[in-house]
Amino acid sequence: MHPITPVLKGWQIVAVLLVIAGNQVGDNVVNAQRFLSGGGWRWALLVLAATAVVGVAWASLAWRMTSYAIDEQAVHLRSGILLRQRRQARLDRLQAVDVVKPFLGRLFGLAKLTLEVAGGSGSAVELAFLKESEADALRAELLARAAGIHHPAGDDPAPVAPEHQVFELAPTRLIGSLLLSSTTFVLVPALIGLTVWAVHVREVAPVLAMLPALLGVGSALWSRFAREFGFRAAISPDGIRLRHGLLEQRTQTVPPGRVQAVRITQGPLWRGQDWWRVQINVAGYGSREGAEDANVLLPVGSRVEALHAIWLVLPDLGVPDPRGTLHVALSGSGAEQGFLTMPRRSRWLDPWGWRRRGVLVTDRALLIRSGWFVRHLILVPHERTQSLALQQGPWQRALGVASVTVHSTPGPVSPLIAHLDAADATRLLTEQADRARVARAGAGPEQWMSRPASRTVDRA
Amino acid sequence: MSLPHRGPFDPDDVVWNPVSARLASARLVVAWLVVVVVLVPSVVLGLAVGAVWSWGPTIVVVLVAVWITLLIPRQVRAIGYAERADDLLVRRGIMLRRLVVVPYGRMQFVDVQAGPVARRFGVASVQLHTASVGTEASIPGLPPHEADRLRDQLASRGEARLAGL
Repeated sequence: MHPITPVLKGWQIVAVLLVIAGNQVGDNVVNAQRFLSGGGWRWALLVLAATAVVGVAWASLAWRMTSYAIDEQAVHLRSGILLRQRRQARLDRLQAVDVVKPFLGRLFGLAKLTLEVAGGSGSAVELAFLKESEADALRAELLARAAGIHHPAGDDPAPVAPEHQVFELAPTRLIGSLLLSSTTFVLVPALIGLTVWAVHVREVAPVLAMLPALLGVGSALWSRFAREFGFRAAISPDGIRLRHGLLEQRTQTVPPGRVQAVRITQGPLWRGQDWWRVQINVAGYGSREGAEDANVLLPVGSRVEALHAIWLVLPDLGVPDPRGTLHVALSGSGAEQGFLTMPRRSRWLDPWGWRRRGVLVTDRALLIRSGWFVRHLILVPHERTQSLALQQGPWQRALGVASVTVHSTPGPVSPLIAHLDAADATRLLTEQADRARVARAGAGPEQWMSRPASRTVDRA
Repeated sequence: MSLPHRGPFDPDDVVWNPVSARLASARLVVAWLVVVVVLVPSVVLGLAVGAVWSWGPTIVVVLVAVWITLLIPRQVRAIGYAERADDLLVRRGIMLRRLVVVPYGRMQFVDVQAGPVARRFGVASVQLHTASVGTEASIPGLPPHEADRLRDQLASRGEARLAGL
């Protein structure tokens, strides 16, 4: 690891202290002012400096104890001061590789490499911090080994896989999408209401009372903006590569066949522009804290870009007319293009959405369409189905309908087919179990470059 | 042995295995223990106040106890599992019915558990885990030897069909 690491990690401890102090001050501004003006600022500075020294010292110790090694099968990481830990991550189980450049790290040209191996929370292997060039070379090397490319262990490093950019997000569209997001949908009426109330009672108290909530919303919007700024997606033989971030830059690489499910969403305010958001389930990303930044395949994009995003995951949809099918799946309703729809009697359970609900089984994937107010489309490749469930509550039984759930790895996408005709539901469950089994048997190996023919690069 | 026919929850070619009736006894014991704990203060209240209304809580507790006593054996009878060539089926529930299909190749690990009461009645539960947290496939109320057999069977079948995620 790079010797600057302790400084970067030690700084985090100071930052935590500052946040705690900030919260305390927020609770009691007057007291804090009195404390600081009465010579207390010297103490405050002293405490900060002491924390910084202790933090950096602790981090230096940790840095001295941390080392890593890679071989043909696995990555080994040794760490810990009091509790020694040796972690081994099998490369054939590799689900995703992230290179993260935090804001401070960028000043020093350092990056952090994270390997996800789908072992539940805390199973990721984090190598921090490395020189940027070193991190990029290591990622190429790890991906090559995980892909099953065996090159003689020598001095020439693995070549970086060529990339082909698929889409890029313009900052103006990102701002537009945030302005038209559901947050503003709630925020604007609330603000108008508050202002009217404040003017009516001629006091600023109601506005002040709302201030913390406003700050919360503002920071949520800001963090989404900073996270998704400059979003670019590319395809390479290593898989899907996503780059994004304003202050902290993250480069994600998801190898082929690692995306477990896809969801395409459109809120009511995005309908005018025909904008869509695409999220994915990747094993390992889901169980991580703050996972929302890792599970986005397309923050906001036009319909064509959303179709490209789907194509990144599922190059072959398994239908003769993928474009037409997806148009119906995104914004249509009814049985067009072969969708299996819900019976009319399910309107008692779902009075608005029942017309839009539909499910289509193709040769390669399951398409689940739903949502009347907020449109959703979920795609699950057959070979990524974990398990299936059929459920029926008392009202559903009275109406002769049942729901089917397709279990996917943890993440934002949870596929549910609600209120199918009971007979259809049973048939779908049985057939889907068979299809998933057949698809699994025919799926490519985990080491994706050792598969007979690469499906990912032949873009027509 | 056959279980009551359950419409959409009975795919054609499936033969359901019931779980042990001792599970009902184990669950009834636990339920009655709770009932006794709640019943004692409500009876004390009835005796202490002596008015007609003060027996209200006692009546409610007794009614709930009767209902639970009738419900638990039915619930246990509704639990069934079936081993097919490539997947395991588990179903349960009377009001909220649920049928889970878990392919052997998707299993990550299998748990066998038995609490103190369950051990007393000679039942254990087998739970299957996949990479999804949504897979709630547990089979309660198996005799210990059957639980062990099922665990070994699932483990060997899972190994034979293991795929990546």
